[in-house]
Amino acid sequence: MKFRTPVTAAAVLTAAGLVLSGCAAGAPEPAASGDASAPTQTLTIGAVADITDWDPAQAHVGHLLQPYQAAYDTLLLREPDGTLAPMLATEWTYDETNTQLTLELRTDVTFSDGEAFDAEAVVANFEHFKAENGRQGAQLASFESATAVDADTVEITLTEPDPAFTYFLSQAAGLMGSPAALDGDAIGAAPVGSGPYVMDTASTVAGSQYVFTAREDYWNPDLQKFAGITFKFLVDNAARANALVSGQINAALIDARSTAQVDGAGLERIAYPTDWVGLLLLDRDGTIVPELADVRVRQAINHALDREALLEALQLGYGTPTAQPFGPESGAFDEELENAYPYDPERARELLAEAGYADGFTMSAPSVSAFEIFFATIGQQLSEVGITLQAEAVPDQDLVSEIASGNHPSAFFFLFQGEAWVAINQIISTDALYNSLDSTTPELQTLIDQVQAAKTDEELEAAAVEVNRYVVEQAWFAPLYRPDQLFYTDATVTVEPQVQQAVPSIYNFAPAQ
Amino acid sequence: MLTFALRRLGSGLLLLVVISALAYALMFASGTNIARNILGETATEEQVLLKQQELGLDQPLWQRYLAWAGGAITGSLGRSWFGAETVSQAVATRLPVTLTVMVVAIIFTALIALIIGVTAAVKRGWLDKALQVSAVVGDAIPGFVLAILLVLVFAIQLKWVPAVSTITPNAPPSAWFLSLLLPVIAIVINAVTSSAQQIRSAVIKQYERDYVRTLRSRGLGEREILLKHVLRGASPAGLTVLSLQFIGMLGGLVIIEKIFAIPGIGNLAVSATQLGDVPVVMGVVLYTVIIVVIVNLLVDLLNGWLNPKVRVA
Repeated sequence: MKFRTPVTAAAVLTAAGLVLSGCAAGAPEPAASGDASAPTQTLTIGAVADITDWDPAQAHVGHLLQPYQAAYDTLLLREPDGTLAPMLATEWTYDETNTQLTLELRTDVTFSDGEAFDAEAVVANFEHFKAENGRQGAQLASFESATAVDADTVEITLTEPDPAFTYFLSQAAGLMGSPAALDGDAIGAAPVGSGPYVMDTASTVAGSQYVFTAREDYWNPDLQKFAGITFKFLVDNAARANALVSGQINAALIDARSTAQVDGAGLERIAYPTDWVGLLLLDRDGTIVPELADVRVRQAINHALDREALLEALQLGYGTPTAQPFGPESGAFDEELENAYPYDPERARELLAEAGYADGFTMSAPSVSAFEIFFATIGQQLSEVGITLQAEAVPDQDLVSEIASGNHPSAFFFLFQGEAWVAINQIISTDALYNSLDSTTPELQTLIDQVQAAKTDEELEAAAVEVNRYVVEQAWFAPLYRPDQLFYTDATVTVEPQVQQAVPSIYNFAPAQ
Repeated sequence: MLTFALRRLGSGLLLLVVISALAYALMFASGTNIARNILGETATEEQVLLKQQELGLDQPLWQRYLAWAGGAITGSLGRSWFGAETVSQAVATRLPVTLTVMVVAIIFTALIALIIGVTAAVKRGWLDKALQVSAVVGDAIPGFVLAILLVLVFAIQLKWVPAVSTITPNAPPSAWFLSLLLPVIAIVINAVTSSAQQIRSAVIKQYERDYVRTLRSRGLGEREILLKHVLRGASPAGLTVLSLQFIGMLGGLVIIEKIFAIPGIGNLAVSATQLGDVPVVMGVVLYTVIIVVIVNLLVDLLNGWLNPKVRVA
């Protein structure tokens, strides 16, 4: 029995030890409070994406902004409808060149480590964000320097006008961490901000769940509607749906294909678009596929697509068919462009014939396994007018760099529909990643310059609509539809949608009355 | 026995070197632009270049691998490229969860398979036939299908257990128990049928050997023959199949962990691979190979002790 006993014993002891090590303390109790007005309800959100780094310089937007909002305040608050409101900054004004931004700050805010929030802290955060080269580093691409004028005034200098800069101050670049913690490694594991909640590190498990409890004496109790918020990381859609239906989480985003299961369980749904889905016809100069240089060919592609049918088949009808790449709240939206290219295969064939390609042609696009169904359906419709769409398989994680590589004449993708200036720099300007062959024309460049130079929102929107019209008329893209984000809550919680954001901000959640 | 153990340890180390080098090369085989993946679609070319230098991606592959291996030998596996965790932290928080599931599952698999296998071999008849059929069925149903069925019935319909894991450092033991119940059941059902089948065959083979007839002719009781001689003879085959099950579980657990959102090493492996988080993937590979080597070594030693012939083979 030399071996058998120790091995068995070791196995049993390991198992027992592992189980016991997991039970040092009881389950977290909701914070008890004598204050009648203090919230007692907690909120558990099922999150799609994991937070791997809590350093605000590594913060991300979209699905990942929510958890950062629990720990960090932003300089500006973005209301659900997209307007900017005061938060840590009470006022913000540009000089006449649009390159000098002055922020007035609150004076009653402290970080969770006791440090005071002031102008120096803002400067430290900007410099840290810039130096760390994080995942949203591009938000400060136009940032040159920041100076503390006095304790509650900061002056920011930009290298060139950036119509999206104040918007970025409500996003990753606006998250303010404690200056004392910014340079250390610890902030990556546990956030140190001035936000409405503080992380309960004892209950938090990296890669699984992040537990936050309400901060006492938070400067703005209106934003702090729960006694605590837990983000449970559930990457699998089925796991998220199961957790929601069985009551383990209060709110989560669910894929269209799981709506039947979730709807049956009596949950509330809000639906709103944040992306557009479609083809980027990248090779507008015909470098790789000469046929694509002809605008009539690109228009033919647009006419060949039955958007209603594709929406029904691919997204179970949850969404809106569209022919424009800009979203309704972007400021560049034009209702008339929604149906700019009605489904008309006959017209598509005519246009191809006019361009001299009556026999059709072949174009390729990078594809990942999840896109197979899209390539099959879109390819089927294009083939009916003689166009062959070839899927070129690439590894999942390489999709974006493949589209950006300049080696593909077209690409299929889901793209975020942001503010006009953000979207222009995402898909249209020569700097844009999704304009990988750097197509442009002098007319278009003039229109883009007008957007950048705009002094008022009205000017900006008027110019942005022109950019939109230009790229739709020139058929730079073949958009299909804007899929709805399907966000569910149980009976204990209400939530308001947040425009241009994959999931609502945490401020939009409230206990059900 | 000592040289035998050392020889096995040596081949284990060789395996470690070969697999880690292969894994490292594979991570870069697609020519992935990892810096772009880390920074995302909004990053400028300048940012991407900076990140490449920061991660040493501008150096040749073999040089990077040697640097990684050097770090691994001195106990430093580096830091995740996508997060704040060190690789050692990332593995240390997730490995215990996975090992708990595996150890509990293999103990139950061993016990149940032993009881079923031996009973079937000794009694034969209808029980034996039922086992043969269930072995085919149990083996044919993938673990994740079982898992989904279990969730639908016991978590969603009956609400006896949580649908997704509630494992946290300070959760009470009951939470761990309830969270691990369905995953363990799914794994055990899948593993037990084929193991029982193997144990049954091994036991039957022993019964057919001459020494059993000799023992019977000497008047030894059936009970003594089974417990003292037959089981000992059949144990190498049984141990081998269980060790294979244990290693096979590592693969099945990747999917099971996803379905139940268990914060284990499988989930880490999937997310790190999808991202192209090379240091974390390499950490997972390293620890997995070490586990496989240790399990094989233990089984070899156990077999060697039970059956001296194995030692010289």
